[in-house]
Amino acid sequence: MTLAPDAPGRLAIPALIDEATVESIAGEAWIALVGEDEVLVPVPGDLPEDTLSAWVDVVGPWTGSVVLTTGRQTAAELTRALLGDAAPELLDHEDVADAFGEIANVVGGNVKAALPGPSTLGLPEVGAAPTVRNPEDVCRIEVLWRGQPLVVSVQGALPSLPVPHTPHQHPHQNGASQ
Amino acid sequence: MRALVIDDSRAMRRIVSAALEGFGYETRQAGHGQEALDVLQEGYAPDLCTIDWNMPVMDGLQFVSAVRANPAWRALTLMMVTSESEQGQIVRALAAGAHEYVIKPFTADALRDKLALLGMLPEEAVL
Repeated sequence: MTLAPDAPGRLAIPALIDEATVESIAGEAWIALVGEDEVLVPVPGDLPEDTLSAWVDVVGPWTGSVVLTTGRQTAAELTRALLGDAAPELLDHEDVADAFGEIANVVGGNVKAALPGPSTLGLPEVGAAPTVRNPEDVCRIEVLWRGQPLVVSVQGALPSLPVPHTPHQHPHQNGASQ
Repeated sequence: MRALVIDDSRAMRRIVSAALEGFGYETRQAGHGQEALDVLQEGYAPDLCTIDWNMPVMDGLQFVSAVRANPAWRALTLMMVTSESEQGQIVRALAAGAHEYVIKPFTADALRDKLALLGMLPEEAVL
């Protein structure tokens, strides 16, 4: 098992899963849940200011969250696509949270399966994205769905380890006798 | 044939129910394992339960164990439909008494194939 070079003893996500795998998992989820013609295009885009995130926590040899973030309007569109004919005329926050959360659940479950286990999967949560604790423990993809930007971030829950302190060797503390 | 669709996501309950209804099932829904047990105890007698794993109150594995502990529900076919796709979890669910395991995301065709393997496709869907 590979360890992050800067974090002895702790698994970091870039050593466990790559962007292509996350992209493939998300793409399959979209086709199955949202629609056969609903592709994710691997092109970065600027997220709008008003975003919504849905995520699930993974707890195991690697602990963190699988977070989907997109514009609120896009999350509502996703909900309509997911529900199809069953979508109510007026979506409320519960509808969007439920549908967007379920997409995060499916993507997160399949990401978890690609990681070393055993791990447990939390229930989906929706709101403001959890903070990135360690920028080196993140695997992030940016895609477009129907031209709108969406980010999938697999991010560790633990802060980066402190840089090991290398004591300065004082010229007079080297034990050398004069 | 009747199916009880158990999932904490309303969206997923709608998707699974729509697929099953397309195969000719009549469906009811429950939002977690305890609610599903209540439905069974009220006398609803489905042929099939589709069961999510991660749910509040009572999860899918607890529901499977509870059903298998009651001889009155021995004939019930239990199918996990979940995003829990670790091999170890699949083994646990099957060992607890689930008959089949479908990993989300799935297509209606994949669900149909699993039901056919179990001999659980209504006649009109087989023809």
